[in-house]
Amino acid sequence: MVDWEAFQPAALTVMLGGYALGGVVPAILGILWRNRTKPGGSLTGAVKNIGFGLALAAALAGCLLSLSILISGTPLHMEFLPTAHVGMMGFHADTLSALFIGAISLLGAAAACFSLGYAAEFLLRRSMVLLVVLYNFFVLSMIGVLIADHALLFLFFWECMSLTTYFLITFEHEEHAARRAGFLYIVMTHIGTAFLLVMFLLLYSTAGSFAFEAFRMEGARLPASTQSVVFLCATIGFGIKAGIIPFHIWLPEAHPAAPSNVSAMMSGVMIKTGIYGMVRVFFDFLGPVIPGWWGVLILTIAVTSSVLGVLYALMEHDLKRLLAFHSIENIGIILMGVGAALLFASWGNRPLAVIALIAGLYHVLNHAIFKGLLFLGAGSVLHAAHTRNIEDLGGLIKRMPWTAFFFLIGAIAISGLPPLNGFISEWLTFQALLLGFHIPDLTVKIVIPLTVALLALTGALAAACFVKAFGITFLGLPRSGHADRAGESSFTMLAAMGFLALLCIFLGIAPGPIVSVLNPLASSLLEEASTGQIVMHAGTVLIPRSASASISPAALTGLLVVIAAIPLAGISIFVLKSRSRIAPTWACGLERIDPRMQYTATGFSKPLRIIFSDIFRATHEVGISEEPSPYFRPTITYELKTESVFLKYLYEPVFRSIVSAARIIRRIQTGRIQTYLAYIFVTLILLLLFAR
Amino acid sequence: MIPVHLPLVELLIDIFAASILVTAFLIVSSRSLVFYIRLFALQSLLLGMVALLVVIGYGETHILIAAILTIAIKAIAIPVVLTRVIERIHVQKEIRFRMSITASLMFCGGIVILADSVAQSILRSPHAEASAVTRVLSVSIAMMLIGLFIMMTRQKALTQIIGLLTMENGVFLSGLSITYGMPLIVEVGIFFDILVAVLILGVFVFRINKTFESISIDSLRSLRH
Repeated sequence: MVDWEAFQPAALTVMLGGYALGGVVPAILGILWRNRTKPGGSLTGAVKNIGFGLALAAALAGCLLSLSILISGTPLHMEFLPTAHVGMMGFHADTLSALFIGAISLLGAAAACFSLGYAAEFLLRRSMVLLVVLYNFFVLSMIGVLIADHALLFLFFWECMSLTTYFLITFEHEEHAARRAGFLYIVMTHIGTAFLLVMFLLLYSTAGSFAFEAFRMEGARLPASTQSVVFLCATIGFGIKAGIIPFHIWLPEAHPAAPSNVSAMMSGVMIKTGIYGMVRVFFDFLGPVIPGWWGVLILTIAVTSSVLGVLYALMEHDLKRLLAFHSIENIGIILMGVGAALLFASWGNRPLAVIALIAGLYHVLNHAIFKGLLFLGAGSVLHAAHTRNIEDLGGLIKRMPWTAFFFLIGAIAISGLPPLNGFISEWLTFQALLLGFHIPDLTVKIVIPLTVALLALTGALAAACFVKAFGITFLGLPRSGHADRAGESSFTMLAAMGFLALLCIFLGIAPGPIVSVLNPLASSLLEEASTGQIVMHAGTVLIPRSASASISPAALTGLLVVIAAIPLAGISIFVLKSRSRIAPTWACGLERIDPRMQYTATGFSKPLRIIFSDIFRATHEVGISEEPSPYFRPTITYELKTESVFLKYLYEPVFRSIVSAARIIRRIQTGRIQTYLAYIFVTLILLLLFAR
Repeated sequence: MIPVHLPLVELLIDIFAASILVTAFLIVSSRSLVFYIRLFALQSLLLGMVALLVVIGYGETHILIAAILTIAIKAIAIPVVLTRVIERIHVQKEIRFRMSITASLMFCGGIVILADSVAQSILRSPHAEASAVTRVLSVSIAMMLIGLFIMMTRQKALTQIIGLLTMENGVFLSGLSITYGMPLIVEVGIFFDILVAVLILGVFVFRINKTFESISIDSLRSLRH
């Protein structure tokens, strides 16, 4: 028997201390030896190694902490600031927090290891001290958000997280795009915080305390209208951070602007803090009695986010922007689980709600891992080829075989194909939704099949998108000199990606341990007594409530290997005996092909652009330069623009009305001090006359 | 110190308070910057005397330090600093007015009437404690409003400072009249604040003059764009 009571606080201390030291030590070094820690200075390498080394150690401690809480089921509780009026301040890490800490720590370990190699790129150009300090405090504040047990503490860490990410997004601040992305991010995130503040104040007005403990007790007793306002505030406030459509506009700008190790963390886990907040508020504070329309609203948002997210991703040719749009899609898939859980809970079907919530939470973990892997892969490509535009890449599989292999694993996982982890959570989501068919209500009977159909569409489109992303980036011939000169990444970067790729495979083939840990977690959130909604039987996932729903990932994998072996055997028996000739791939046997003969990413996505033309509203412009003779290569330019419906019809009208209102108010701003004094004077006189 | 309840003290306080109000009116009616500063010095001196009289008449010894500080800082140090600034920037006169001097004086008369009626309504309320010093409450409110009025109607940056300081004197006087002065730590804080503010403003005036070739704050409008 392990002594959890002693182990958990120790692990927590090591984790928090590791991140804090990782932030403070480089800062001290930077202050003491200002010259030697400047870009190109002799100490920058040491700063990098200390900072990311400590982050790695802290992440490993975080993995242990998360595991111990998840396995034992004992929450870690710490109170350190008894404040009489606003409730006890402290940390509280239950299994829900532990799941998210686990996701952060697994990805954090990989990202820290990756950074050891990747950040070397910045040694000569950038302040390494700044990067390391911001990175460590960023992860620290994320952990803080997850374990805060008090609204004010939560908001403190929430704001720390927003600020550190703002500075990480604008890390390459000479670029106009980075500054613009940072500004957009900080504006959006503050709007979100405003909603969260309203939400907490509403809860405070009833609970009389800012402690989460009081919210848990009193949240269910709020009047129904207040509960709904709290629900809406949480959806918007956390939704902005999670990047749901229509609050997603900051996400595709901000994630690509940050350094790749940071984008992996932002896309993999930071946006999940929004999901954490939603689950915490919906189920922990407000549940278990839930109005029916909440689930429908969340499902609508989820479907919109996932379908539009993947459609926009299809049109992207910037590798990191493409991945950022896929984050929106995957947040949608996660919210499908959460929304379905809300819907089923409102109908009193708690066992089913548990299955849906398990599906959502499983996808949280999976998405953290494969999206982290893909962003690290994109970082490697960027590191090697110095461009994110996939139209300039190609042929990298020969130059960076390992990176290509790991990226492929991530791509298969995100497309939801067996036997990798993305498949399992999407399968669970499908099962939960399909079982919801039994609920005797017309709305549900309309919403559920639509969701299922659109989830299937999302999966297919995601696969198409990653065929494009992987095919154009890694296959074929290099389309530019940059891609031609690219070389394989360093060992630490490959190790980090390999670790995540292994996790993708493990979570796909052996979902048993995770499901058995998630089941009690989801059951306790939904206050459902029995925990046997999903059982593992001889390596097979079973859902006992329906006769048909069971799957054995291990058997599936075996089957895949067998099926793949048949044609291979056929080839080796029949084909290899015949005469063979070696020629370039895809060249139809021709001797020489030119990179410009290849399919482009724009060309690849053209059919979908035509099918969904109402959504993209694409306009293209072909410019042919005037030359004396039409036969001698006039320069031809092709420009394609897609239009964001949300930007045009939601954000721009709002911006315009704010600006025009400001113009009217501006008239009283004369810029003359006396006028302002006169305003004060007149107000004062009027008040005195009035109060007399 | 034994409180000496003398009608003489009350009479003197009344006289000094009235003189303070007169200095405020004189500032409104004058054009010369040097004269403003001297009037302000006189005003502060009178204020210090009122504070001293409160010490003598009512035994509030903690005001003694505030009274000394008033005389030392407001009646001596600040005027010296401001006079230096004027000498360096060679600006002597307030030329353009938003409101003519006659109209300003009429307006300030109205302010005094308003201030007195406000003060009376405050003193009529059941919480107010009747004390001899409360009589100067109306003067103090009028001072604050006149200070603001000076800032509002004059152009030169230096006059703005004088207006601000007049308001501050009004605040000090009101504190004195209602509660026999604010706690010493607050008073000391305010004195420090004012001294630093005047030093900084003095530097500002100097820089503004160098940049715009004038200390008319209208030039600052160009900062708007």
